[in-house]
Amino acid sequence: MDTPSERIYLFNRLAKGWAVFRENLMGKIGLTLMIIFALMALASFFTPFLNPMYDPMTGVDPEISHATGPSLRHWLGTDFIGRDIFTQLLEGAKIAFMVGLSAAFISIVLGTIVGMFSGYMGGVVDTLLMRLADMIMVMPSLLILLLLSALFGQLNIWLIVLLIALLRWPGVSRVIRAQTLTLKQRPFIEAAKVAGASHLRVIFRHIMPNVLPLSFLYMTFRVTSAILVEAALAFLGFGDPSQVSWGMMLQWVWKTGHMFQAPYWLLPPGICISLLTLSFYMLGRAMDEVLDPRLRKEEHSD
Amino acid sequence: MTLISVENLCVSYQTKNGVLNAVDDISFLLEEGRSLGFVGESGCGKTTVGMALMGLLPENGAVTQGRILYQDRDLIQLSDEAMREIRWNEIAMIFQAAMNALNPVHRVHEQVREAIVTHQPGISKEDLNRQVQALFDLVEIPRDRMQDFPHQFSGGMKQRAVIAMALACSPKLVIADEPTTALDVIVQDQILQEIKIIQNRMNISVIFISHDIAVVADVCHDIAVMYAGQIVEFGSREEVFNTPIHPYTKLLLSSYLTLDGDKPAPLAVSGRAPNLINPPSGCRFYEQCPHASPACENRAPEYHQATPTHRALCDITE
Amino acid sequence: MLFRLAPGDPVARMVDPMWTPEEVEYVMSQLGLDQPIWTQYLFYLKNFFSGNFGVSFHYGEPVHEIIWKRLPNTILLFTTSTILAALAGVFFGKIAAWRKGSKSDTWMTISALVCHTLFVPWFALMLVWILGYKVGWFPLNGIISPEIWVDESSGFLVKALDVLHHMLLPLMTLFVVQMGSYLLLMRSSMLGTLKEDYIVTARAKGLSEKVIRNHHAARNAALPVITSIGLSLAFSINGGALTETVFTWPGIGKELVFAVSNNDYPLAQACFLLIAAVVLTANLIVDVLYAYLDPRIRY
Repeated sequence: MDTPSERIYLFNRLAKGWAVFRENLMGKIGLTLMIIFALMALASFFTPFLNPMYDPMTGVDPEISHATGPSLRHWLGTDFIGRDIFTQLLEGAKIAFMVGLSAAFISIVLGTIVGMFSGYMGGVVDTLLMRLADMIMVMPSLLILLLLSALFGQLNIWLIVLLIALLRWPGVSRVIRAQTLTLKQRPFIEAAKVAGASHLRVIFRHIMPNVLPLSFLYMTFRVTSAILVEAALAFLGFGDPSQVSWGMMLQWVWKTGHMFQAPYWLLPPGICISLLTLSFYMLGRAMDEVLDPRLRKEEHSD
Repeated sequence: MTLISVENLCVSYQTKNGVLNAVDDISFLLEEGRSLGFVGESGCGKTTVGMALMGLLPENGAVTQGRILYQDRDLIQLSDEAMREIRWNEIAMIFQAAMNALNPVHRVHEQVREAIVTHQPGISKEDLNRQVQALFDLVEIPRDRMQDFPHQFSGGMKQRAVIAMALACSPKLVIADEPTTALDVIVQDQILQEIKIIQNRMNISVIFISHDIAVVADVCHDIAVMYAGQIVEFGSREEVFNTPIHPYTKLLLSSYLTLDGDKPAPLAVSGRAPNLINPPSGCRFYEQCPHASPACENRAPEYHQATPTHRALCDITE
Repeated sequence: MLFRLAPGDPVARMVDPMWTPEEVEYVMSQLGLDQPIWTQYLFYLKNFFSGNFGVSFHYGEPVHEIIWKRLPNTILLFTTSTILAALAGVFFGKIAAWRKGSKSDTWMTISALVCHTLFVPWFALMLVWILGYKVGWFPLNGIISPEIWVDESSGFLVKALDVLHHMLLPLMTLFVVQMGSYLLLMRSSMLGTLKEDYIVTARAKGLSEKVIRNHHAARNAALPVITSIGLSLAFSINGGALTETVFTWPGIGKELVFAVSNNDYPLAQACFLLIAAVVLTANLIVDVLYAYLDPRIRY
């Protein structure tokens, strides 16, 4: 089996998967929610141009300097210094996507590479990498981030993303490793080796295309956990102070003692975090149902 | 006396690609105390027949036509509750032990015990213990191994335990689905002898399902050869062996006879078995048949009755 | 030890601006902060291995004493919620898998997904707001009502009920969050088990559906859930720390967050080491438990 035909095969598989996916209730709910949030994130780029008071961080309504309820001017009301909550919510969507997608992407890249090497190399390399993965996997990532921020002061948002990724690759690498182990037994890998392909070439040209669907599946779950961890960090007051994230908004409600007086402020960010993470998770499960039997069946039919 | 009679049984599965007719218009009789063997390659529908008799078709499968008369009761019409009473009490099954037929987290004797308790709720503890011990004695498993978990047993012992389990409620009919597959030849032979002895001693009817015609020939009085969901030949062991009619049977026998009995060579069938979602209108064996005539392609063959007990689904009979 | 590289001067937080420089000097030498870094480190190592984690900057008490005071509260809250959540998750997951594809399965699965992806602190705040503030059934935070404990006449039962009353909201939060993942896991594990051959055997034996479900399928399916208690502990501890913080439940998690916020390094470090040790031991215990429950790996 050569690589181009494998690619076409992969493509066909994805096309068939999409057909099954469209029938999946959970997938549909997930995708719809996600599109709504993506539109919110896009909208956040335009609000400051509408009126400077619709800037999520610095835009204070000149006539309001305390928390007010929803009005025509401020659909979801204002926060304790008169900033528009709806604008902050849109901005939060942007940050959540940014954090979630980039942290998940870095972690699956790491996890995939580690998993492929671990499975392909076997022996001591495998043992060491997997012990490391076990150790990191059982550690509560939020608490580690807390400690690190105590150490280095307020963390920059990109540093948070990177740290989340560094703490979140082991799960992916375990799955990819298992998949690599079964792939290693298949004839086309043997054929590539006999044909003189180097280890790196075998890993990246022959194994990687076959594990990528699985990696992307796991990416959706990683997005969920990355968003939750960042939000929790911000909620506890260790987020990036220069960014308005949903977790940050909740921290403001909580710390300024508005949680009992201002439901219009307490409800939206929490609902948004929960729904966005839910949408990614549902999407992941739907993809899991579509992809997984195919992957498994393939193992047998060889 | 006839124990079970199956008339025009059809079973189909709902699959993603359409309705698959796994068993197509099958009829046979089984007398009390006799044994009948179903032979055929995998996918021919022989296991489906067994599952249909037990009323244990998977969720996507259903009997679409026909009757299964067991002592004048149609099993297909029975309620779930009534069928549950019949299972194991009247009809039991010997599964392939290698396939996880025993629950790994329960002790072996518990799994035998459970069958008895379910069907004889009022049984006293001493009676129960005695019965369970008798069963293990019957299949020659040492009593001190009764307390073991399945994974502590060898393949042969597991298979014996499964047999003991099947006999727990003294059924009248036992369906044995590939009971010796995945065992090595010597153990396989021991198990077969055991089944024969038990069958004679307890006067049980046995339906034996196997892909291996040698095994079936060893144990069974009658043989039904299945191909693509149909019984292509049915007759006594001697008739099928000495005067096979259907070309598929001949092919099976030739591959069996070329080797000295131990293991059949892989079937020398060219081409694949027909697709059962859209079966061909003519003879299903047409493409592989060495004797096919052009007429066979489109005309469905009919049973040719050679003797009162021997018939074959083929129009070409020399 | 790493904490000493961190910014923020702990002494500045502790000392009263009215103190004289001599007094500050005295406190610094008492805490060992006037020594060179490497001496501090050696001292620290020596103390660490003799079970002495130093003195909390904020409380001015030995760290291990603070931890001993907080630990029971965390254990009480955390083990109760984990056990309840695992039991409920296994139970409902079993039912959902058994009725796969039905309406009740769909609803259970979706609710479990919602619970699993819920943002914990927000959910906790909602509970406080609705059940604590609006309806007024539960206290808003803390673990005890001081007036009851000061009152000499209140007996043990009254005190216990008071703690329970305070515990219900945090317990509910942790329960809901953890139960979702156990349910999902049990459901998928059970679906796998139901495809096994021994389930067909059980049916063929004429066993009733209930016996098949509980005795043959669920028993096997629950095994992976038990391993997952160890693996998902990290996830639950994150939730636990957040829950304790929101409800100001005086446990290790809240103490850690508090210590980090206040640059109380010895306390933060000890809390973290304790949690890490607990996680590792818990995983070990789960492995042993699993070996005990699954006869295939019994030695």
